[in-house]
Amino acid sequence: MRTTINELNGELVAAFEGRLDTAAAIQTEKDVQPLADCAGKNIVLDCSALEYISSSGLRIFLNVLKNAKAKGSRVFITGMSDDINKVFKITGFMNLFEFR
Amino acid sequence: MITVRHLNKYYIGEDGKKVDVLRDVSCEISRGEIISIIGPSGSGKSTFLHILNMLDTPNSGEIIVNGKNIQDKGYDLNKMREKMGMVFQNFNLFEHLTVLQNVTLAPIKLRGLGEKQAEDEAMEMLRKVGMADRSGSMPSQLSGGQKQRVAIARCLAMKPDVILFDEPTSALDPTMIGEVQGVIRSLAMEKMTMLIVTHEMKFARDVSTRVFFMNEGVIYEDGTPEQIFQNPKRAATRAFVHRIRSLVFDIVSRDFDFYDMTTQIKQFCIRYSIPEKMNDITHIVEEMLILLSKYDSPVLIEVNHSEMDYTSSVSILHRGESVSPLERPDADELSVMIIRGMSSDIKTEQTDEGVRLTFRI
Ligand SMILES: Nc1ncnc2c1ncn2[C@@H]1O[C@H](COP(=O)(O)OP(=O)(O)OP(=O)(O)O)[C@@H](O)[C@H]1O
Ligand SMILES: [Mg+2]
Repeated sequence: MRTTINELNGELVAAFEGRLDTAAAIQTEKDVQPLADCAGKNIVLDCSALEYISSSGLRIFLNVLKNAKAKGSRVFITGMSDDINKVFKITGFMNLFEFR
Repeated sequence: MITVRHLNKYYIGEDGKKVDVLRDVSCEISRGEIISIIGPSGSGKSTFLHILNMLDTPNSGEIIVNGKNIQDKGYDLNKMREKMGMVFQNFNLFEHLTVLQNVTLAPIKLRGLGEKQAEDEAMEMLRKVGMADRSGSMPSQLSGGQKQRVAIARCLAMKPDVILFDEPTSALDPTMIGEVQGVIRSLAMEKMTMLIVTHEMKFARDVSTRVFFMNEGVIYEDGTPEQIFQNPKRAATRAFVHRIRSLVFDIVSRDFDFYDMTTQIKQFCIRYSIPEKMNDITHIVEEMLILLSKYDSPVLIEVNHSEMDYTSSVSILHRGESVSPLERPDADELSVMIIRGMSSDIKTEQTDEGVRLTFRI
């Protein structure tokens, strides 16, 4: 599991690569810390290389969203693979996020 | 092309008792047939191939190849071996020779080809198996799948009439099985006569024109892939082809290796050609373990897949407990939603050992 964060056109883009499961969640939680500083910037979670997400991963996404909303930022998700799509559908996360 | 009559092979065990390996095996193999040989471990599959190739001798019986009895005095065994190629589980490449030299060696020595012609032909065979660009490599620089493809090219360079494969993909990392099966499939398309011992049922079903089910030293059932896999006539065949493949995790401690478990699930799904089920299975197992991690009771997880009808299931036994972890009021909602969403059917049963949930995938 790899997470890379870049600033692109005034947005914070976090790209995830691999399997975001229980084993990877602790490290990923640390890796997304820079997104906490999002005041004035929107966040993009790029999931095009994310193969799998478990509830532990969903919680990380949810925390990013809560924090962003509190700071007036929006969170967009791009590039959902089949698995991520399925998990988002069955958990209702489809209705929480905005998609690009 | 090959006629086998009343073949017997036995060993005398340490206790002096006779152990039968092949018992009165007879069959007729015609040009162009692609025969998969399936059967339980120890049923004599490898021994049968070895005897056909005279790498092993029978105690009695006859093998007639193109009208000649290969055990006759004066029969040119080397000539026969040239015409009957063999591919082994462990490739058996010459480690000190390059890929190209591995392929040219026998044609130069046995077919008497000049170096230039042998190399031209070898390159053609290497192209066939997709290894032409590695002709200068040493075997140690190749992956298992690549080595096996070179071994097949080496076989083809002898222009064999028939190729015997003994579990050609069993020693391979699951990700490399496809490339070797692909080469065999393309040979099947060219109507190469082949006998393939394999544990890969889906492959056997797809590639062969005929299947031998070997059991306890006999060809117990001989039929088309449709007959053997969909409509076997005899009970032992039915039991074998219906066989459920299982992967079991007995989790007694919280420090079990989660990463290793997901890797094993992945390998299982690849081995049995169900990669599309890998994520769903992993989701159920992972979320169940999250729910169960609140309790100290041990957990038994079984992933099952029937190669017959392609149904799969995950069964999770929570030892010593009686309440389904999905029904507990404090169960984590996200986990429960994922679990319910991933399975088309969930069965809960109380057993003497604890509560068992079975998820159909
Ligand atoms: N040299 C030997 N001495 C004694 N017994 C032998 C010898 N070689 C093979 N056997 C026995 O012969 C039987 C058949 O072996 P064989 O290798 O042909 O089985 P197989 O069907 O290929 O099994 P697998 O699927 O495990 O490869 C086995 O019970 C084996 O123990
Ligand atoms: Mg064998």
